[in-house]
Amino acid sequence: MSDNLSTLDLCSLANRVRSREISAEEVTQTAIARAEALQLTLNAFIRLEADTALAQARAIDARIAKGEIVGPLVGVPLAHKDMFYRDGMPTSCGSKIRADFVANRTSTALARLAEAGAIDLGGLNMSEFAVGPIGNNAHYGDCRNPWNPEHAPGGSSSGSAASVAARIVFGALGSDTGGSIRIPSAMSGVVGLKPTQNRVSRYGLMPLSFSFDTSGPLTRTVRDAARLLDTIAGYDPNDPTSSRRPGIGCEAACDRPLDGLRLGIPTSYFFDDLDPEVASALDAAQKAFRDISVPLLPVPVPSHNEINLIWAAALSAEAATIHRKWLRERPGDYGPMVRRRIEFGLYQPATRYLEALSLRETFLRDYCATAFADCDVLLTPTMPVTAPRLDEVDVSDGKGMTDLVLKVSRNTRPISYLGLPALSVPCGFNEAGLPMAMQLIGRPFAEAQLCQLGHAYQKVTDWHTHIPTLAKS
Amino acid sequence: MSNISSEFVTMMARIWHRFSLPQGDAGLLAEMLAPMETAGEEAAVNLQFDLEPSDFDRALEELAPPVDER
Repeated sequence: MSDNLSTLDLCSLANRVRSREISAEEVTQTAIARAEALQLTLNAFIRLEADTALAQARAIDARIAKGEIVGPLVGVPLAHKDMFYRDGMPTSCGSKIRADFVANRTSTALARLAEAGAIDLGGLNMSEFAVGPIGNNAHYGDCRNPWNPEHAPGGSSSGSAASVAARIVFGALGSDTGGSIRIPSAMSGVVGLKPTQNRVSRYGLMPLSFSFDTSGPLTRTVRDAARLLDTIAGYDPNDPTSSRRPGIGCEAACDRPLDGLRLGIPTSYFFDDLDPEVASALDAAQKAFRDISVPLLPVPVPSHNEINLIWAAALSAEAATIHRKWLRERPGDYGPMVRRRIEFGLYQPATRYLEALSLRETFLRDYCATAFADCDVLLTPTMPVTAPRLDEVDVSDGKGMTDLVLKVSRNTRPISYLGLPALSVPCGFNEAGLPMAMQLIGRPFAEAQLCQLGHAYQKVTDWHTHIPTLAKS
Repeated sequence: MSNISSEFVTMMARIWHRFSLPQGDAGLLAEMLAPMETAGEEAAVNLQFDLEPSDFDRALEELAPPVDER
């Protein structure tokens, strides 16, 4: 992609395609060329569907030429974590077990993106079965971090984060059950938006956990994420759990004044054991908000230790229910870490599982009454550390791996249990050049407030405009 | 304090789920399960079943900020 195009964000690109300054075919061809050129270095794609994408692009150009009304994502090359079903296409979920699975339906989220004019380049690398926050994969090879390919991109939506950071695609969908959008976004220096539970239809998404799965966008800017979420959110008759709440309005919120919005800084848990460089980056982010007159208040938050443990009990029980047959018949086809994390759910008593789900309402009400009593949105680090080196990741899943997993996901897991929306926004780079990020957490269905604050932050900072060196060539 | 052991996990795998578990896996799983079992016991104290049925989805809708604040 030319330098000019690689610096564009998703919204600007769609505007240019719509006004015929550039064709969808040209944009798609350059995106495919970049995907191919960077595949050996990053391994971001499991399956690149170049011919299909070009056919979609030509169809879009033909519609524009005829003067037809086109959607807000017209001609924008996207690609998605390889767990979103496309009718008639393979969907591996990053696994050996589903390597030959061909979907018989298209996910509602992908269908809505296509209806809005987006181009789909194919299935992106991910942690096997969406389990694991590092982004390594025993079957398709590790995806790599565009800021330094020796480091992990974060998972489980590893290819989504890497392909957006490397300026291959302008946005990607990922899934988040305990941090799988926010963690790779933070490690790879892109924006990641985990919506409220039930905000986005899960129809046609390979499940990990019925209660905690969400899907959402990873993009270069907050406005881009807002546009993608506006497109995919909303009630879907194919997913009876999806919310009937109308009119999400995240992109419109980006242009709204911040009058009255208050940020809460948790006085416990989230800022514990921070890497000093991450702590400095968060201090600077707080200052940036103060400079644009957003009040910052210290706020108490309930204990997260119980939440984390009962979240794991419920999630693993649901995952084990989905995987029990394969665990019994094909245990050797799982990576060791993934098998053990899922097997874990086989040993949860039914009473513990039901307690975890029953307590969810109590914990949510208590959390909102405490943490959001005096503020609208919480500001925390997304992760206490930066991306680890891939050669330091213990793929045999010893104690070191468990500690690493718990550490990188400590600030994201409790928010998944509570079902709250959260936005990860890049807020700096450490001395080694690795990205750091903040997390904005809102009350249920307050994604628009998160976008409002995140966009205001990006207007006065330039972290989102930095491009990895390998993406400039 | 949890009494979950690798023997217990191995037995559950064999009897309930009909597969055999390598000894190393059973030990790791037992280590992972023990703190969760303890926390689950502590958390369950807060359960009041006279408040059932709990409805997490309804709570999400009720706790959303008013429309003009979003």
